[in-house]
Amino acid sequence: MTEQELLFGLRHGEESAFKELVTQFQDKVFNTALGLLQHHNEAEDIAQEVFIQVFRSIQQFKGDSLLSTWIYRITVTKSLDLLRSKKRKKRFGFLSNLFGDNNMPVYEPEDFNHPGVLQEKKEDAAILFKMIDQLPENQRTAFILNKVEELSYREIAAILHTTEPAVDSLLQRAKQNLRKKLNDLPP
Amino acid sequence: MKNKFSKAQVESIMESLGGIQHAAAPNFFYTRLKAKMEPAEEKRTFFMLRPAFITAALAVLLVANVVSLLQTKQRPNSEPTAVSGKPATIESFATAYDMNTGSVYE
Repeated sequence: MTEQELLFGLRHGEESAFKELVTQFQDKVFNTALGLLQHHNEAEDIAQEVFIQVFRSIQQFKGDSLLSTWIYRITVTKSLDLLRSKKRKKRFGFLSNLFGDNNMPVYEPEDFNHPGVLQEKKEDAAILFKMIDQLPENQRTAFILNKVEELSYREIAAILHTTEPAVDSLLQRAKQNLRKKLNDLPP
Repeated sequence: MKNKFSKAQVESIMESLGGIQHAAAPNFFYTRLKAKMEPAEEKRTFFMLRPAFITAALAVLLVANVVSLLQTKQRPNSEPTAVSGKPATIESFATAYDMNTGSVYE
């Protein structure tokens, strides 16, 4: 099924088209969300929300970009929204604990192990993901899209509404920051 | 100051994502997605059964009742008119229905 046929089917509410869309993109969406969130269940929830959003707002998709770019964009936006919300909760966790609101325990996440990392590199990758977690949003997104989802500079630029040189700059800064963080870790 | 990782270790960590495979979505992803979408569709279909809708509908009915009651009370009492169009009196009523029957002994 071509992208045009898929879009036609989606706009006419055909379930077969929706199923085809999910089959085509579920791994890409899940892998991207997993890289950004570093949490299996949260990544699955976000992936589901992405497809629900696509289903509801397909009429608003004008076709200015590729369908895949649009879907990646929704995935990145939803994942970053969740990360921000988690950070807010963590920030106010101290205050909540002071006032006795202990419904949501604030805890440090365990080491994240991406299922696609080679066995002999798992330990190193877990350290790297911990450092990626501390990067600014745009560097983190560019790094994950490039290294985990293996997208080209052009694709990343389209998703982030920026230029290819800007993506290159983001990736260089991300690598510099990661090296610095690794070098600054105390023994 | 000594660091936790040597230069070689740092480079090894930086390269640890090389050859990474894509993580696949969990099994039954589509089934779970459909299950998540269905409640939303049901909610839209059976919105008339939602408490908010029922309460609002009852409130509208109640207001309509009160308004009609008030309007009925405010309407000036119209005098019942006799058949001839003159204001009704007991006499005209009696005339109309011939209630002034004379005694049978008259």
